[in-house]
Amino acid sequence: MFEVIPRLLRNGQIELNETLLFEAGDEINNYSTVPPDQKHWMMRLDVWLEKRELLLNRKFPVGILISSDTDLAATLGKQGDLLQSPLFKTTEVAFIAIDFPSYTDGRGYSLAQLVKSIYGWHGELRAVGDVMIDTVFYMARCGFDSFLIKEGHDPLLALEALGTFTEQYQKSYKLPGAADS
Amino acid sequence: MYIYDDVDQKLVEQRVAQFRGQTQRFLKGQLTEEEFRVLRLQNGLYIQRHAPMLRIAIPYGMLTSKQLRALAYVARRWDRGYGHLTTRQNIQFNWLRLEDAPDVLAKLATVQMHAIQTSGNCIRNTTTDHFAGVAADELINPLVWCEIIRQWSMLHPEFAFLPRKFKIAVSGSMTDRAAVGVHDIGLQAVESNGIFGFRVFVGGGLGRTPIVGKLIKPFVAWHDLLTYLQATLRVYNLHGRRDNKYKARIKILVKDLTPEVFANEVDAQWQLIKGGPDTVSEAFVKSIAGKFKWPEYELNTEISDTFYFSRLSADTQFNRWSRSNFHPHKVSGYAAVTISLKATGAPPGDISADQMDAVADLAEKYGFGELRISHEQNIIMPDVRKSDLYMLWQELQLLSLATPNIGFITDIIACPGGDYCSLANAVTIPIAEAIQNRFSDLDYIYDIGELDLNLSGCMNSCGHHHIGHIGILGVDKAGEEWYQITIGGRQSGALGHHPNHDLDQGLDQGLDHSGLATNGLATDSTSAAIGRVIGPSFAREQIPDVISRLINTYLRLRDSEEERFVDAVHRLGIEPFKKDVYADPLLSKPLTLSKETYV
Repeated sequence: MFEVIPRLLRNGQIELNETLLFEAGDEINNYSTVPPDQKHWMMRLDVWLEKRELLLNRKFPVGILISSDTDLAATLGKQGDLLQSPLFKTTEVAFIAIDFPSYTDGRGYSLAQLVKSIYGWHGELRAVGDVMIDTVFYMARCGFDSFLIKEGHDPLLALEALGTFTEQYQKSYKLPGAADS
Repeated sequence: MYIYDDVDQKLVEQRVAQFRGQTQRFLKGQLTEEEFRVLRLQNGLYIQRHAPMLRIAIPYGMLTSKQLRALAYVARRWDRGYGHLTTRQNIQFNWLRLEDAPDVLAKLATVQMHAIQTSGNCIRNTTTDHFAGVAADELINPLVWCEIIRQWSMLHPEFAFLPRKFKIAVSGSMTDRAAVGVHDIGLQAVESNGIFGFRVFVGGGLGRTPIVGKLIKPFVAWHDLLTYLQATLRVYNLHGRRDNKYKARIKILVKDLTPEVFANEVDAQWQLIKGGPDTVSEAFVKSIAGKFKWPEYELNTEISDTFYFSRLSADTQFNRWSRSNFHPHKVSGYAAVTISLKATGAPPGDISADQMDAVADLAEKYGFGELRISHEQNIIMPDVRKSDLYMLWQELQLLSLATPNIGFITDIIACPGGDYCSLANAVTIPIAEAIQNRFSDLDYIYDIGELDLNLSGCMNSCGHHHIGHIGILGVDKAGEEWYQITIGGRQSGALGHHPNHDLDQGLDQGLDHSGLATNGLATDSTSAAIGRVIGPSFAREQIPDVISRLINTYLRLRDSEEERFVDAVHRLGIEPFKKDVYADPLLSKPLTLSKETYV
């Protein structure tokens, strides 16, 4: 069940993807309600929200997976509540992943913008699912900084594709690799 | 004309390099058909009936002689010697090879042109009034704002994979010649308390579900335009339907949520980004305006008018052409001229490479080397000295480009139809020709007056049939071609849409309209209307007779020569027209046969 070919683009490197999605009540996890305090676990946003109290002070914080049809405002509450007590802290959350069920489903780009600029997430934002050589550039501009490249697409070419354009028109979307403003 | 700086140039060149790599990967089998499909669409490349079709953007309709010559070169070298102007200020080539597409795009990049986002579910080429920048009735110059929107929308990282295509139109005049009411977003310039801004209409569109756009924001100040667009697109991107392609346009979302709720959602998103980095500054507007090369008009024009008027009275044919193809200019002594691409027998909007070269030459000889493309599929020479009109007309005649029919029944808008397009149910080009042949008497078509006749080969409505005063739609019934007729559509309000044939009126009207705008009493300039179906469909051969009967009914019932066909339809309803058409036993005959196409 473990992947052998590295395809996770992260910090300018190509790494092996060792992430495991935790399914509550899964037999593999001995029916526990939260994953063991080990590396590489990721939980769906709704499950994470529900079990949040049980996940504090872990040695290995979990990642969160957001599906493309998530209504963030409805799930997380309006911005006002969040600004008072930020929901996602890098001490509690390893990374946030947004799923692209198909590369033509562009909701993930807007979700990334909301997670970063509205909900104030400053940690790793990962694109997963139908992530292509041809889409990582726009993804990076929308705030993603790691990319699980789909099988059949050369991760090295994807790494190069982060430099496809060296100029930009839209001021609020930085170029890949540029410092946060 | 907007002149690219280094950033603009680099972006189009890097886009060509990106697409070249993608095409190579596809040809080597490293990209699947499905993966490549959207990538090629976003570079203007469709797979069509005969070959791939390439759609090239002519942003806001503006084109230089040099660019038109490059298009002629493309037509000769990679296509079959002609191109087709679309209803969205693009040009299409129908006979390209996929392998050549990157070279074509590289050639276009050398003249500051591209095919980026001319297709696919993204923000398409922004369109405007084809008289933008020279019209006498402008509140703002939409060219500058269209360029600002072009830059903002081009390679936009968040909105490249929307639920469906997205079209923006901008009108800077009080007379809406950009059809802002039938676009996903229509922007109408207005002034409020001494600041100018835009009224924002959302959710208009043709296609399967024709709807006129709803006013969701009566005023967005100019500096907030881009953040407001960003908020609107974000709401659509997150909430537009993706489960059904026919319900995916923003008009369905606006309808489902109601315009009020949609407007509130946009406002909530907008508050989060308003005043942010994409806020437009005065310095930015100035820098964009400064990158345009504006015409240097000669202001001493008294003599030129005299010669023009003497020719008008001396030459009837010139007089006719001038009445129909002339548009008033903001600068006294100049005129904007429409070159009709609607000569009988030529597919509407088609232009040959030789004609492109010739028009490019004329634009340099009788203007500033600039041209415009209209959504009615004609070419505009925007800055002709009145003293030159007569010579220009003589030269155009030699090129078969002096058809005096602008705004009349034979100035037909048509998509390429079943002869080229794989989506079409029916052919359009032979129908257009049959109608043009029927209405070949110029005195008669002038008597009929202003009439928009629009023709689409299928429900995708590329020929804008819903907003034709008379609309013709090709429908498929058991593999046969039938045509459905609508009447009473219009692209903009009844007020101020008359072609301005009176030379002296133009400037006065412009001032009036500006006056209206400053007082905040703007007319409802987006009162576009969707035409109504008159009844069961017709066979191809019947169409000219149907049109004739509609016209006869109009001529009999109009209250004066001033009342246009479309106004008469709105006053009388469709009943008298319908009754007269189907009273003809030959036309009512297929009534039972094609009942299912009567929708």
